[in-house]
Amino acid sequence: MIDVQNVRFTYDGANFALDGVSLHVRKGEFLCILGGNGSGKSTLAKHLNALLIPDEGTVKVQDMPTADADCTYRIRETVGMVFQNPDDQLVASLVEDDVAFGPENLGVPTDELRERVTQALEDVGLSGFERHETHALSGGQKQRVAIAGVLAMNPAVLVLDEASAMLDPRGRTGLMRVCHELHERGMTIVMITHYMEEAAQADRVVVMEHGHVALEGTPDEVLVQARALAHLNLDVPFAARLSLDLRHAGMAVQPTVDAGKLAREVLALGKAAGICTTADANAAAPDAADADVDFPTCEGDADAPALIEFQDVSFTYDAAEAKRQRKRKQAPAARQAKWGNSPDSLWAVRDVSLQVRRGEFLGVAGHTGSGKSTLIQHMNGILKPTSGRVLVDGTDIASKGAESKVRGSIGVVFQYPEHQLFAETVYKDVAFGPRNLGLSGEEVDALVRSSLDRVGLSFDELAEKSPFELSGGQQRRVAFAGVLAMDPQVLVLDEPAAGLDPASKRSFLQMIARLHDQGLTVVMVSHCMDDLAAMCDRVAVMNEGRLLGVGAPERLFLHARKLKDVGLGTTEPQAFAEALRAGGWPLEQEKLYTEKELAGMIAAACGAGSGNAGEASSSPAGSEGQVVE
Amino acid sequence: MNPGFSFGSYVSGTSCVHRLDPRTKLIAGCAFIVVLLCAKTAAALAVCAAFTALCYALAQIPPSKAARSLAPLMAIVVIVAVLNLFVTQGGQVLVNWGILRISEAGVQTCLFMGARLTIMMLGMSLITLTTMTIDLTEAFEWVLKPFARFGVPAHELGMIMGIALRFMPQFANELAVVYHAQVSRGARLSNSPARGVRMLTSLMVPLFTSVFRHAETLSAAMDARCYHGGEGRTHLHPLRFAPRDAAAAAFMAVLAGCVAAIGYFL
Repeated sequence: MIDVQNVRFTYDGANFALDGVSLHVRKGEFLCILGGNGSGKSTLAKHLNALLIPDEGTVKVQDMPTADADCTYRIRETVGMVFQNPDDQLVASLVEDDVAFGPENLGVPTDELRERVTQALEDVGLSGFERHETHALSGGQKQRVAIAGVLAMNPAVLVLDEASAMLDPRGRTGLMRVCHELHERGMTIVMITHYMEEAAQADRVVVMEHGHVALEGTPDEVLVQARALAHLNLDVPFAARLSLDLRHAGMAVQPTVDAGKLAREVLALGKAAGICTTADANAAAPDAADADVDFPTCEGDADAPALIEFQDVSFTYDAAEAKRQRKRKQAPAARQAKWGNSPDSLWAVRDVSLQVRRGEFLGVAGHTGSGKSTLIQHMNGILKPTSGRVLVDGTDIASKGAESKVRGSIGVVFQYPEHQLFAETVYKDVAFGPRNLGLSGEEVDALVRSSLDRVGLSFDELAEKSPFELSGGQQRRVAFAGVLAMDPQVLVLDEPAAGLDPASKRSFLQMIARLHDQGLTVVMVSHCMDDLAAMCDRVAVMNEGRLLGVGAPERLFLHARKLKDVGLGTTEPQAFAEALRAGGWPLEQEKLYTEKELAGMIAAACGAGSGNAGEASSSPAGSEGQVVE
Repeated sequence: MNPGFSFGSYVSGTSCVHRLDPRTKLIAGCAFIVVLLCAKTAAALAVCAAFTALCYALAQIPPSKAARSLAPLMAIVVIVAVLNLFVTQGGQVLVNWGILRISEAGVQTCLFMGARLTIMMLGMSLITLTTMTIDLTEAFEWVLKPFARFGVPAHELGMIMGIALRFMPQFANELAVVYHAQVSRGARLSNSPARGVRMLTSLMVPLFTSVFRHAETLSAAMDARCYHGGEGRTHLHPLRFAPRDAAAAAFMAVLAGCVAAIGYFL
């Protein structure tokens, strides 16, 4: 289908972004290309449909060389491409016009255009969205519109260049589903990603490093090579880590990336060792119990003083409408949209009471549109509650004069904070906050030094550089330093690790944990349950503008089913433990397993039985492309 | 962040005015302005006003919506009318405050201009009220097409307008986010002017970098979808003139005739 031969490519004439890549994409396969930032994977993607032409070597699409200018449009018609940022690739204001854009360029007659648009939207599950405005869609929906726009050109290959990187888990699941459906109908898919869960679902995985192919093979072969992957700045998927740990403990399980398969193997071993009860009757019990138990609402160190306190806070972006409804004494009509979040539901936050205590690490979970961002914007008075009060250190933030005081003591880091950099040097950008507070030159200088140090950047090296010359990860650190320079007591973070590759994400989260250890109170919004469970003292769960529950992660994440009802998952080890329990493995009821504990527990239980595990390990290998949620 | 943002004042509907070809509406709008400028008497204006009212009725636009779309434009009307009040002189002097003098002719012109402009604005609003901006863009592109041979890039201008409209709400959103972020870092417009300038740069620089970033990827995305200018492109909604467009043209001609007749006979 696509043949890449010894391709070298350079942007600047000195460093080769691609340095001798050879790759063969077969017809009808699902290929995943992995790699850390700067490994050349996106550059490779742009070569596949002639957006870039190799400096050396050849790329051939169905025997058409991309270097031949006459073939360019036929190649782009054959190889459709979806880009990373959902906001950047939609051309038109209306969904149907955008989907029609590609075939319009190809000169497809109007009647056929209409058919193709209808079909493409149906393929991505967005029938009926023809007349919707593109900017009002969620990120996941925008990406699916982008895919529809490519499908309408009837391509044979679909290339997704980190198309899921900026989406929330729900959007990502939808995107993967669409890809699998298309693949089943014969579409060749090339997916570029740094999410391991996605790579685990592919037929074949190629790992890039420094512009060449480092590893290649099926997910089960490639993704279990823990040491090699760590060296390439990538993560090993949970199931692979667990299977390796178990093998290390002497159990006969296949190294695999498929958690469902691993669970079945472990259960088989457990049965052989006589640990499991075969009955599934047990499985229903925890769920039934779960339905009755409410989420913990307030827990932990109740003696610690509250730094920020929400008292029955409600907020709406449309205050006039709220007033009208209150006058009419009418309950707001249930205008919940059919899909994901509803942009037109009246209340963004409803009746939230919550305390942020001094010195704690509070996590906020909830899917997009659940009111998380609106909630944290109340913390430093950017938004004022429509009703209810927000107290910071006992002062109502709505009261006069409180604002400037609050702004200094509560630092908010928005999503993608590097997009807010503006000054000509790093120093000036970081100094913006303290200068606004009216501090003297020396004080500002000291604050800039200390805050750059706290985010792990060197003052002497970077202070006089332009922030726009830095790498993405460094830019984000500079933006962080800009908030720390205000010397806040509380750090409020909205998705601080969004869009980073696994290695930078890890070091970034370590930095946040360090800041917390230094005495900062931290509030962090995140989609990643494993991060929240590992880092937070307490977690608050938001759903449709309401606070569903607050509690220690050890308690909260036990309610897997309840979390699933609101579109969230639990942690991966816990999900695995639930799968074991459903299979009849006796587990402690009120315990949140970590990965180590889980591996230790299974190994200890099977310790005696590992000898007669031969039958389990002979179970047929091969990826089924399914991962237990 | 800013869910209330909407551009234009489009009121959805299926009336015959809504369904008119956007090109017809655009041309009729221009013709209407010319007719209004030719209307020199109160009688002619009254005919035009009646015509506008009839169009609104046909479009089934409620008066409240019409008034709301007119409100921001009324400032212009008032300024022009008041200017005329003082500038035009003639007939009996009614008020005399030093250099400011209001005469009979001034009052007449003031009222006449005010009425004429209001009708004009009402006519123009009717177009934006019944036509989506995206359709207007296409009509605009079509109207410019004859000028393409003189080097006017008609297709490109239309595309630019379309993309600008598409990104308008997005930049409004991004600006709101950047504003909130910088305000969180203590930025304020008040106080010293130096600080105000700093605040503005802290908003504008991120906005411009974001514009360039978007432009770069958008152009790659358009390339990837085989965009190569207007040549050989087809349209999902090709503009087609229907009988009702001819009817609208005839309607317009009748109005012009009436105004001309009034001017000639009275």
